[in-house]
Amino acid sequence: MAAHMLRSLCRPRPGLALLCARFSQRAAAGTEYRSSHSLDKLYPPRQDGTATRTTEEPQPPALDIPMDRLTVSYSRSSGPGGQNVNKVNSKAEIRFHLASADWIPEAVRQKMALMHTNKINRAGELIVTSEESRYQMRNLAICLEKIRTMVTEAIEKPKVVSKETTQKLIERVEKMNRERLRQKKIHSTIKQSRKADFD
Amino acid sequence: MSGNGANRALELLRSLPRVSLANLRPNPGSKKRVRRCTKKKNVMPGTGLWNSYLNVSLFVLKERRRGRGRYGGRKCGRGHKGERQRGNRPRLGFEGGQTPFYLAIPKYGFNEGHSLRRQYQPLSLQRLQYLIDLGRVDPTQPIDLTQLTNARGVTVQPLKRDYGVQLVEEGADIFAAKVNIEVQRASELAIAAIEKNGGVVTTSFYDPRSLEILCKPVVFFLRGKPIPKRMLPPEDLVRYYTDPRNRGYLADPSKVAEARLELAKKYGYVLPDITKDELFKMLSARKDPRQIFFGLAPGWIVNLADKKILKPTDESLLKYYSS
Repeated sequence: MAAHMLRSLCRPRPGLALLCARFSQRAAAGTEYRSSHSLDKLYPPRQDGTATRTTEEPQPPALDIPMDRLTVSYSRSSGPGGQNVNKVNSKAEIRFHLASADWIPEAVRQKMALMHTNKINRAGELIVTSEESRYQMRNLAICLEKIRTMVTEAIEKPKVVSKETTQKLIERVEKMNRERLRQKKIHSTIKQSRKADFD
Repeated sequence: MSGNGANRALELLRSLPRVSLANLRPNPGSKKRVRRCTKKKNVMPGTGLWNSYLNVSLFVLKERRRGRGRYGGRKCGRGHKGERQRGNRPRLGFEGGQTPFYLAIPKYGFNEGHSLRRQYQPLSLQRLQYLIDLGRVDPTQPIDLTQLTNARGVTVQPLKRDYGVQLVEEGADIFAAKVNIEVQRASELAIAAIEKNGGVVTTSFYDPRSLEILCKPVVFFLRGKPIPKRMLPPEDLVRYYTDPRNRGYLADPSKVAEARLELAKKYGYVLPDITKDELFKMLSARKDPRQIFFGLAPGWIVNLADKKILKPTDESLLKYYSS
């Protein structure tokens, strides 16, 4: 059952890099054991090994941040934690000069300078910190994620609502209110009819 | 002979130091040794270093309780009258008539099906670094569960629903060893920490029988049975082991290479190129999905006494073991 499911999951894909080719075929000839479920049978390498794969990417690729352009420093985090928090450098801080960051488009850079003025110091460096995790590596990843979010927010354009759509929305609201008041009046007459008014 | 026993004893008394409680010992067998505590005392933060030098001995001589004298006599430790002295106390858990705790709390399936749940023994990166530094685990060879068990780094109990070992992040910041390690589960940060140092992680599945053989190979070889083929993972685990993000052993190698790059971008390190490494052959060594040991195929019988390996020759057997 598992074997059947496994085979249905595998599709032949071209093995590009030397790395993946090495992982699927072992170096020694003849002495290595190969079962029917070995990797080179599950994912046979394509005959035209150098053909570039047409990648279907459902999501756009994550922003490529050059690590050598950033200044990364680690320090001790704040908060409770006893001896461990006093000794371990887990707070990660990234600084980079925003105006000279070529890896961000110019317009986006200016937008970011406006949006995050509170995070930019006098020298023009954007500072991002993270001390949410116990691990330096994870805090660094969180900082990079924050930078990517900032860039994404700066890139997005405000939604332009067409005139027809705004008109439609206003009409909808008015219609809802009219209906609500009509129902209210009906309910009111029902309640009135139940009153016994003796003159 | 320097004289009879009495003279010799008197000579000893004159020459040896004074007899005191520090020099005396009870006759062997007269006092029972009782295990006092099993854990070492932890250093409390703020109490200073001197506490850590306290030696707590594990065994203590237990004094025999005799019904004579101040602490063994009169009421003999039973108290005064009542159910206590008369030995008529109610059952454990009885609270004098009040609905006891174990009946008042409603049932909830916390432990339901616990014996069917898969467990993975954690292995922190800190522990792995410790084992490598002490030389108990060799980083120049692929690290397997057999290597870890031989080094007594982890203890896996296949009979207690253990399905192997999982890599845990503790010590990710101090980890600095280039290893080819194969575990059963690994968290993302642990994978990142190992790949950052130029190593390779693979997650693979061992069914309980294969796991027992993997952990105790010598015991298995002494049975004289052929090495069985490792079973493929059950349905709910196939998705895990075919996912390149978990570095599954059944995942597409090209996708695994892409996933390595993605992880490097996410965690902000430069992925070292292991193809240029001198240990590349060792780092890329991997087991076949049906193989339990490196270098030994299913169907072989290992004879440790005669130092021989017996391989099957029958066609049907060969067909079965290579399926």
